[in-house]
Amino acid sequence: MNLLQNFPIGQYVPGHSFIHRLDPRCKLLYVLIFAVLVFMANDGLSYAILALFTLLIMKGSSISYRYILRGLKPVWFLLALTFLLHVLMTKGGTVYLAWGWLTVEAEGVRQAVFISVRLALLALFSSLLTLTTSPLELADGLERLLHPLSRVGVPVHEIALMLTIALRFIPTLLDETDKIIKAQASRGIDFETGGLWKRLRNLVAIVVPLFVSAFRRAEELALAMEARGYRGGEGRTKLRQLRFTWRDLLAFGIALILFAVIGWVRR
Amino acid sequence: MPIIFEQVTHIYGAGTPFEKEALSAVSFAIPDEAFVGIIGQTGSGKSTLVQHLNGLLKPTRGRIQVGDWQIEPSSRLPAEFRSNVGLVFQYPEHQLFEETVAKDVAFGPRNLGLSEEAALLRAKEALETVGLSYDELKDRSPFHLSGGQMRRVALAGVLAMQSKVLVLDEPTAGLDPAGRKEILEAIYRIHRERKLTTFLVTHSMEEASRYADFLLVMAEGKVVLQGTPAEVFAEEELLRHHALAVPQTVELIQQINASLPGEQQIPVTLFREEELQDYLLHRLRQTRAVIIPE
Ligand SMILES: Nc1ncnc2c1ncn2[C@@H]1O[C@H](COP(=O)(O)OP(=O)(O)OP(=O)(O)O)[C@@H](O)[C@H]1O
Ligand SMILES: [Mg+2]
Repeated sequence: MNLLQNFPIGQYVPGHSFIHRLDPRCKLLYVLIFAVLVFMANDGLSYAILALFTLLIMKGSSISYRYILRGLKPVWFLLALTFLLHVLMTKGGTVYLAWGWLTVEAEGVRQAVFISVRLALLALFSSLLTLTTSPLELADGLERLLHPLSRVGVPVHEIALMLTIALRFIPTLLDETDKIIKAQASRGIDFETGGLWKRLRNLVAIVVPLFVSAFRRAEELALAMEARGYRGGEGRTKLRQLRFTWRDLLAFGIALILFAVIGWVRR
Repeated sequence: MPIIFEQVTHIYGAGTPFEKEALSAVSFAIPDEAFVGIIGQTGSGKSTLVQHLNGLLKPTRGRIQVGDWQIEPSSRLPAEFRSNVGLVFQYPEHQLFEETVAKDVAFGPRNLGLSEEAALLRAKEALETVGLSYDELKDRSPFHLSGGQMRRVALAGVLAMQSKVLVLDEPTAGLDPAGRKEILEAIYRIHRERKLTTFLVTHSMEEASRYADFLLVMAEGKVVLQGTPAEVFAEEELLRHHALAVPQTVELIQQINASLPGEQQIPVTLFREEELQDYLLHRLRQTRAVIIPE
């Protein structure tokens, strides 16, 4: 019944591993770099290298493999669907199986495997970002990376603040939802049976208290921020300054090597 | 309803880095119609424990018996089971949602399959039990009440279900002293009248000692002490060890006893305020010359 436990998006796991201690900007850029690498790769060997690299990062984050793989739950369906579509739709090469107009051909299998691996690697890699970076750091990093855009009038600080607040309150609201569902279940709501109308009515009993509490929290937060003198991003200084260290340098070095290797290996 | 816990363990987030054993092999047996006080520090597992009583949480290991129902890790409980046990959550005012107070309180009875009129009748009764006027409030929005009134409405929402077991998770947290007492007295009254089995989670030793005939003392997910209030308060050392104190009445008795000769000692079983008061007055009247050295 507990939503938070089953919520699949990679929730931050505090820690002190090498990956945890990288600068959030470095990690954000790395997700981009990795995406480019994944799209450069086009044969078994280059995918194997990238998979190995991902495995290494997983190890370096000192989070259990099982927990990281749980984060793939929401994309399993997508992966399976992509795989199936490619197997059936892409034509070319030897015909392995033919069943009426449905055929499975060599090129289809190849494409299906590659595309699924691509998706899986990207999902894994980006979930590693959120697993090892606190929401606050993440938003901070993003704000700094996007800072140049504020010159052309993009409200970077506001976007980052919204992101921070959203990320910060997802667990809180899930917790709250869990509690409200339990409280209404104690008042005899039966979520399993009944017609559509009754189920909709039941949903009201959850959504209304949830909204009320979300608005209350929002109001309290706004008040607390004002009470502490928040006046927007202008002239604001930070308690924790982001600083690149030798770790980030090493990470970027490794990225360069990866580019060279994948560029050389790919067909 | 008699309630039995056998070696009940509950682990939150099993298999994740956030794994937390909130209950560790908890065992106790509660007779029918008992008033049970559950005390313990913040985070000791009180709320986790009471959520097992109506099947909202299932034990990770162990077995629970509520009346004729068995709850085991793999049990599937029918929705009707929940109507046996009325559970009032911590800060229950956060569960209000209907347009009017009357509708909100009638929500539980309606879910039990009662007709509109029957449910509203129950709502009226329940609101009056918690000291609110039905006629005055029935058409008001529950969101426009004071905090204390909201609390009472939420409480009434569970009372209106008239279950045989009543579980209250800190029903008086954050209320004024007069309000606390009024609510607890109301609960105690229906506990007696309807012959309920009641669980009251509280941080206050005074509240626990006043109403409970059985106490469960929790610390770090374990029941470290259980028994009648007299038995529990006799273990002052152990209570202190878990950062809990005996009620002020017991403390007073102990302080007086410390300066009284052996045969004049006041029995420590007099932890209910009125009883102690009566006893002291009685003794003063009896022997005008009782000497209480400074
Ligand atoms: N949904 C949950 N997921 C994970 N851990 C939880 C959850 N609910 C409670 N816990 C943890 O279980 C332990 C016991 O919590 P519980 O709420 O039962 O304590 P409590 O005795 O009711 O405390 P309080 O007096 O503050 O209400 C705590 O350490 C808490 O952090
Ligand atoms: Mg609690």
